[in-house]
Amino acid sequence: MITESISKYSYINKSIPRIDSTDKVGGYLLYLTDLKLENALYAYTFRSKVAHGKINAIYTEDAEKVNGVKAVLTYKDIPAMNGYGAIVPEIPVLAYDKVRYYGEPLALVAAETQEAALEALSMIKADITPLPVIHSIDEALDENAPKIHDKGNIARHTVVRKGDVEKARSSAYIVLERSYETPMQKHMFLEPEGGVAFVDEEGAINVLAGGQTPYRDRIQISRVLGIPPEKIRVKNTPTGGAFGGKDDITVQIHLALLAYKTKRPVKLVWSREESGIAGFHRTASKIKLRTSVDRDGSLLSNEATIYLDSGAYQSFGPTILDVSIETINGPYRIPNYVIDANLVYTNNGIASAFRGFGAPESNFAIESMMNELADELKLDPIDLRLKNILKTGEVGPFNNEIRHAEGLEEALKRAKELFYRPDPTGPFQRTGVGIAVSVKGVGFGTLPEFPSAAIEIAPEGRVSIMFSNVDYGQGINTGNAQLVAEKLQIPLSQINVLHSDTKFAPDTGGSSASRSTFNAGNALLLACEKALSELKMEAASYFMTKSDVITYKDGYFYFKDKTVSIYELAKRLRFKGKSTRFEATLEVPRYTEAVEGTLEVPHMVYMYGVIITKVEIDELLGKIKPREVDFIADIGNVINPAIAAGQIEGGIIQGLGYSLIEELNYDKDGKPLNINYTTYVVPVITDSPLINVEFIKSYEELGPFGAKGVGEVSIIPVGASVADAVTDAIGKRNYKLPLLPWRII
Amino acid sequence: MSYEKVEVYSPRSLAEALEILSQKKEHIKPVAGGTDVMVMLKDGVVKEKELLNLSYISELSYIKEKESRILIGAATKYREIRRSPIINAYAPILIEAVRQIGSPQIQNLGTIGGNLGTASPAGDSIPPLYVLNARVKLQKIGTSREVQIDKFFLGPRKTVKEPDELITEISVDKMEPGSYYFFEKLGLRSANAISIVSAAGIINLENKTVKYLRLSLGAVAPTVIRATDAEEEAKGKELSEDLIDRIAKLASEATKPISDIRGTAEYRKKATYGIVYEALYRIFKGYGKKIEYGFEKTS
Repeated sequence: MITESISKYSYINKSIPRIDSTDKVGGYLLYLTDLKLENALYAYTFRSKVAHGKINAIYTEDAEKVNGVKAVLTYKDIPAMNGYGAIVPEIPVLAYDKVRYYGEPLALVAAETQEAALEALSMIKADITPLPVIHSIDEALDENAPKIHDKGNIARHTVVRKGDVEKARSSAYIVLERSYETPMQKHMFLEPEGGVAFVDEEGAINVLAGGQTPYRDRIQISRVLGIPPEKIRVKNTPTGGAFGGKDDITVQIHLALLAYKTKRPVKLVWSREESGIAGFHRTASKIKLRTSVDRDGSLLSNEATIYLDSGAYQSFGPTILDVSIETINGPYRIPNYVIDANLVYTNNGIASAFRGFGAPESNFAIESMMNELADELKLDPIDLRLKNILKTGEVGPFNNEIRHAEGLEEALKRAKELFYRPDPTGPFQRTGVGIAVSVKGVGFGTLPEFPSAAIEIAPEGRVSIMFSNVDYGQGINTGNAQLVAEKLQIPLSQINVLHSDTKFAPDTGGSSASRSTFNAGNALLLACEKALSELKMEAASYFMTKSDVITYKDGYFYFKDKTVSIYELAKRLRFKGKSTRFEATLEVPRYTEAVEGTLEVPHMVYMYGVIITKVEIDELLGKIKPREVDFIADIGNVINPAIAAGQIEGGIIQGLGYSLIEELNYDKDGKPLNINYTTYVVPVITDSPLINVEFIKSYEELGPFGAKGVGEVSIIPVGASVADAVTDAIGKRNYKLPLLPWRII
Repeated sequence: MSYEKVEVYSPRSLAEALEILSQKKEHIKPVAGGTDVMVMLKDGVVKEKELLNLSYISELSYIKEKESRILIGAATKYREIRRSPIINAYAPILIEAVRQIGSPQIQNLGTIGGNLGTASPAGDSIPPLYVLNARVKLQKIGTSREVQIDKFFLGPRKTVKEPDELITEISVDKMEPGSYYFFEKLGLRSANAISIVSAAGIINLENKTVKYLRLSLGAVAPTVIRATDAEEEAKGKELSEDLIDRIAKLASEATKPISDIRGTAEYRKKATYGIVYEALYRIFKGYGKKIEYGFEKTS
């Protein structure tokens, strides 16, 4: 249920249909993998069939002889650095000394026809000496385990602490010690990784591929090719789904390399199975908690050991680990804690960003712990949380002053009215209700960020807005257009969005960390202010008066009985040879220092949510049916309630898949077993429960028109709430996701 | 991913198809709908370089009555079975199963003969065929034979069909008026899922006494199986919760499941018990589905 309250705004707080919906629903929109370039070569990737091994040789001679083949590239053909990775560039573009996961790319082929390319692909031979395969965190930690990297199997280890946990624990009323596990999850976006590349008439390499962060992609391409970033253009839109899985490099460098080498347009699209084998996934986790409470329910201490499975390389692993550290204390007042956090290498593909980014893993642990503590204390789980949540102005566990925590308190109080066990629908059915709280920082925490955005006012009567965040389905184009419409007080129809293209849009960063509305929105509003200030002076010149006596309303400047539109003024500026493009840069508000032992903890602005999940379980079959989910969200002021609710519903369904059925599996040789929609089962629409989304009235002064962010908040607490509901139904607590039927009965 | 070219023969008549088959034998793969074969071809499981496409042979697509039997052409699509008044009237258990196969897209292309040819123990049209005493007609040039459905399958992807034979027809019993029936399928999601366990049953009651029970189970053994011990146990006894418990236990004991990513062997045994118990319990409590002749419903 979404209710639009009476709003003082004209274009925000409104469920305006997405500006791109006609093209998408009508099937007119061409995604980047739909593009057909004239004279393009077909490209394919030769992948390792060994999950862990030493490369002795790669034989490409026979492949090169195939008629129509224009390039067969190996690591030897990489002009500069053979590495990429969003945080540490340690992932080989093409493997050279070792392979570390099944499907790791060893060579690239480009040919005039698909047939020639595939024939060449079949003629490449790799001589690899297999090494023992590491399947899990436990195996990786074994002291006799083979080392996946020279430095060992721990990619990052850090300890973050505060207070005296031993002392706190010794005086506690209850101390609970529990271990939790969560699986690897695949993104399963509808459009697999892919795109096209070509060298344009100016010699610049154009890479048009589904991605999330065009400027970082450009830097990563530049390092590999050894050519300056300005000679590379990256366009990431439109992208058919991403969820974090396209935040790091997928096909972009391979495409650029092939176009650079062949000087021909190239198309490279991964098959669904390749996406399954070589695409990214969510880190698996093993988390041990020892948490203590006082007799009245006050949390005294939290001791956490976190292990995340990064797979063969790091990608975003180090910062994912940071978010898992920040999430493990929940939104709670915890005076004493020790967090021992570890990022571990295995031969399980590569883990990377996925909606929630380390938070769903830790949230499952701490929120399951809160529910069990409530049981032990014989306290209502909502009351236990109300007692422990941090209040506005308090200093949180990571030394941050808490902003706007009223929303969470209000959401918890509302949750009390929704927290009841439904009646079973028939025999053999048991029902249960569960709860969990979500908290997630918006953006990159203490890491400095300076996103830029621009608007251009065209005399023809249109305002173009430009930013580099990608709309991969979440609706950022519409949201940002609404913000600009509100600021300039002009109809949405006059706004044109140019985004995620390094040729046209300034560097606003990427679409990740629920940051796009906050960062791009704020930067666009600054650009609007700049434009209005400049135009006001032009209006003063037009009215032959001083700018401070001029007023602005609905796209027009007013002086006495005279008016002039922004478009008329834009025409005057152009006539004078001035630009009508206004760019501004935002200094993202943040704490300057990260907590010792972390890279980016804490954040300044947090999204909150409370989830109530009602399930029905068939006691003979162990099958869990989520019947109803309530989500009460504090995401700041809501720019577009329908789109925001869509994000929350999508996150819940993706979270239910993660909680109930989804789990990426590898066999004993390290080969992934479920790599397509038949074998990797995601929920379908008929699996969706009835979802009720409610928004707390909230306003974050730091955000654009009071907005925070929304993309990740709902997926985070699903696991703990489902597990809690299952406990309520069958009386047995589960500590491992997904809750597959054979783990229930 | 396979890249080799595949040659497709698309005959317009059965005679032509049998002729091609008699020449090519095991070198050509018959395909009727392709919802399995095309996937297997891509995965390299189908090795044949030639396909015999049966989709254009209209004489293999029919549903007709013949006394107490129903004859179904092998290339009859699931969609046509779902919409058939004859099947709706006399073998609705088949509709229960067919409407749960894959998605509408699969049902628009997939065929009943194709499901038999694939010979997966998880094929959802097969358990109902077991309890409908189906016979499979195998034809080659100049001759044909009929095989009882429980003699047709040898194992996963293995049947008694010779390389020069074609599945041309499936015939089933009409269900007796007043029979209760069910097809239950357990998958990891509510639609478009591969069965972890499935069960089909027809039970004929006289007052409360079981005249006969026919019960088959899918995805729990190398082929679909009949739970004959359970059927024997039920015969002549009054339906009760206790009897249902015994039937479900015997059904569970009849299974020989494997563990895979869709479920453990142990779970499949438990779930077999559950699925059979719940289906019979519904009938016992009066919520079961019952066949009434002359009433043609559409689904």
